[in-house]
Amino acid sequence: MSEIKKIKNLKDFSTSADRFEGANLLCPGCAHSIIVREVLNATNDDLILAASTGCLEVCTAVYPYTSWDASWIHIGFENGSSAVAGAEAMYKALKTKGRLKQPDRTPKFVAFGGDGATYDIGFQWISGCFERGHNMMYVCLDNEVYANTGGQRSSSTPIGASATTTPAGRISYGEKRNKKDMMAIMAAHGAPYVAQVAPNKWKDMVAKIQKGFAAEGPVYINAMSACTTEWKFAPEDTISISDLATDSLVFPLYEIIDGTQLNITYRPKNIIPVRDYLGAQGRFKHLFTKQNEYLIDEWQTRIDAKWEYLQRREEASV
Amino acid sequence: MADTIELRDIEVWDGNMAASHALRQVQVDVVAAYPITPSTPIVEGYAGFKANGYVDGEFVMTESEHGAMSCCIGAAAAGGRVATATSSQGFALMLETLYSASGMRLPIVLNLVNRAIGAPLNVNGDHSDMYMGRDSGWIQFGAYSPQEAYDLNFIAFKVSEDHDVRLPAIVNQDGFMTSHTAQGVHTLSDEAAFNFVGEYKPMNDMLDLDHPVTHGVQTEEDWHFEHKARQQHALMTAVIPKIEAAFDEFEKLTGRKYNIVESYSMDDAEVAVICMGTSVETAREVAEEMRANGVKAGVVGIRVFRPWPLEQIAAVLKNVKAVGLLDRSSPHGAMGALYNEVAGSLFNTDTKAVLTNYIYGLGGRDLTKAHLVSIFTELKANADAGKPTTPLQQYIGLRGPKLSFF
Amino acid sequence: MEKKGWDGFEIGAMLRTFDGAVQDIATTLPENRPYSQSSSFTASVADWRIEKPLFNKDYCIDCQFCWIYCPDMSIISRDKKMVGIDFDHCKGCGICVQVCPTNPKSLLMFPEQKDEEAALAEWPKKEKKDQSEEPKED
Repeated sequence: MSEIKKIKNLKDFSTSADRFEGANLLCPGCAHSIIVREVLNATNDDLILAASTGCLEVCTAVYPYTSWDASWIHIGFENGSSAVAGAEAMYKALKTKGRLKQPDRTPKFVAFGGDGATYDIGFQWISGCFERGHNMMYVCLDNEVYANTGGQRSSSTPIGASATTTPAGRISYGEKRNKKDMMAIMAAHGAPYVAQVAPNKWKDMVAKIQKGFAAEGPVYINAMSACTTEWKFAPEDTISISDLATDSLVFPLYEIIDGTQLNITYRPKNIIPVRDYLGAQGRFKHLFTKQNEYLIDEWQTRIDAKWEYLQRREEASV
Repeated sequence: MADTIELRDIEVWDGNMAASHALRQVQVDVVAAYPITPSTPIVEGYAGFKANGYVDGEFVMTESEHGAMSCCIGAAAAGGRVATATSSQGFALMLETLYSASGMRLPIVLNLVNRAIGAPLNVNGDHSDMYMGRDSGWIQFGAYSPQEAYDLNFIAFKVSEDHDVRLPAIVNQDGFMTSHTAQGVHTLSDEAAFNFVGEYKPMNDMLDLDHPVTHGVQTEEDWHFEHKARQQHALMTAVIPKIEAAFDEFEKLTGRKYNIVESYSMDDAEVAVICMGTSVETAREVAEEMRANGVKAGVVGIRVFRPWPLEQIAAVLKNVKAVGLLDRSSPHGAMGALYNEVAGSLFNTDTKAVLTNYIYGLGGRDLTKAHLVSIFTELKANADAGKPTTPLQQYIGLRGPKLSFF
Repeated sequence: MEKKGWDGFEIGAMLRTFDGAVQDIATTLPENRPYSQSSSFTASVADWRIEKPLFNKDYCIDCQFCWIYCPDMSIISRDKKMVGIDFDHCKGCGICVQVCPTNPKSLLMFPEQKDEEAALAEWPKKEKKDQSEEPKED
């Protein structure tokens, strides 16, 4: 096991040399990139990376350019997890056989996928990788929508959001189903480490990434990725919208260790009403009408209940 | 270091066991696979080798065939020897990733134990899966027996991993007829087998940490065409010469001679059938019997289905008057693939052989000697008439009213 | 990059980030890296911008908020100090300005054509109301 990079504070962290390059094609203000930076900069170890088809992938490896300073692979939409698992298996084989070119270096294996690639189309592949116990980290860039293809709903899209395949209209308030609880599902795999992170809470996030890198076995990171294009807010507001998400507890920050021990890692000093979070985004604009306003109250009730549940889980340590 | 197995000179193996031993002997670094009938015993056998210390590579039992090939691609890009096995529906599930593997120029050897593709569901042998993969950019070898399934694995690794090739390869064998039929197989020692294929030589390997590499990029209209052209160029120009060289070397090692196109009694043949898999052996027997009855019959077996050996096919059929193309896959709205491929191979030549197409053996239906006798008899009539005397596409071995088209 | 013909590039559409070997890239700063032509580092998205951030070091406290939250690796920090902006890679999103906690802000958005000296000359003065805690939520 290699040494964990020492990051005492943000000034320390800012001495990191990014291994992700600019002039990629992500939208101005895209949180994906902020998340990728916080993941990659959390370690000085070598990295072997994979990405599922999605915004991150199509914006960072468009021939003849790559934005990756570590080895990186993309196959398809559903199999970023399996791609990195295959590379990890090869690493183990070559280590056993004494054929690694740099045997003294221990790379980290990380796969990135959007929520479409994670919650939906790639779910089976991720489950397989986690059940098999590959030594890898899977990072879901959760922007709650198929952003790369123009804003279709995924099973991460929350109730009431207007997506292009669940548009709000005269008789519809948009998405009808609640977001899938990937954190619980991945924890149920018995993974050594599962955590929800948000890039605006960088210290919490980087600490979790480092814990994940230190764990033996498959690690799942659900990273909230505020999407300027599909959530419909101005690009400069990515961090302030993210703050609303974490401080309203719409995206509570917590970790689950060994499938059971749940720890809440961020408790907002002032919990913000969910209404403020919803109101800041165009995708929820239609909720602020007489016929739909009851959904905002339902949102608040649901978020309160989830927070209550997380706290009870934490207390119970089960 | 994995233990070796002292093999007898001749082992009684079915095609699956033969393939399993071949994977063990070439010391594959990562096998990622998902079990499916009739290829399952390949991975079961390999798992047994692993469990008993005869394999020190990684063996990844994935959650699906798509996951298996995805892992294979990740492993191959990481930089090492990679193999898998599948059949039928599993191959169909992999199909998306087959194009990725070849487009990314990653050497992987896939043992494809041929089986029908449903619906209706069927576990028995036909060539539907082989045909499904024919545009996927993989090299495709055809074995007609357990011995050949064994031998062609070594050829496949050697050619696929060659730096001038770097294309994945499929070794086809007939489900059950080859995969589950035990025959005598002449073996190579573990050492000789490994030495024939050689140490894996990495290229563009992700695990070379000093040289980060990006695999699986996006190319749009300004680059995609050139990349696909480059892939086709390698498949069309590099592969056949490398296979021929590997066949020569293998013959020197074992005395067993393979050819891009196998021909039997073709020197003076007036009529010929062209087929693949175990049918080749049945057809050879019948051709000999036809010759005893005065029909100059020959048989052509496709050893390398992709890249399609257009020139070799044209050469072997140069003096033939009538050819029966035997396709063991439902062509679903067209002439059979072999018919179309062979017709395309002869069209601009001086050979004006009469071509007819036979669809046979779907879902494991037997191809009997009687069927072949009647085919050769029809071909003789075509040769004599200088034109087709039968419909162009006929179903044989089928119950119900005779079915034919064109 | 030159649009090469089909025989002019690496097989498999493979790309190399660097020319030659690199060790320990995680601690090598961009200026010391042998980027190849295939690295997007060598490309520019400057023409995406309508507005650009300008940096006034007189007010900067080197908190590094702009560095951590920049999605485009365009805040140049060296030895824990904010040095400037990489205008080849900045897309003009404005996050750095939003998260800047100083009063007045040390980073402000200006029209792309704005002259830097002129911008610095007309930089706003400290506002009475303290805004230094958190970025505004618009």
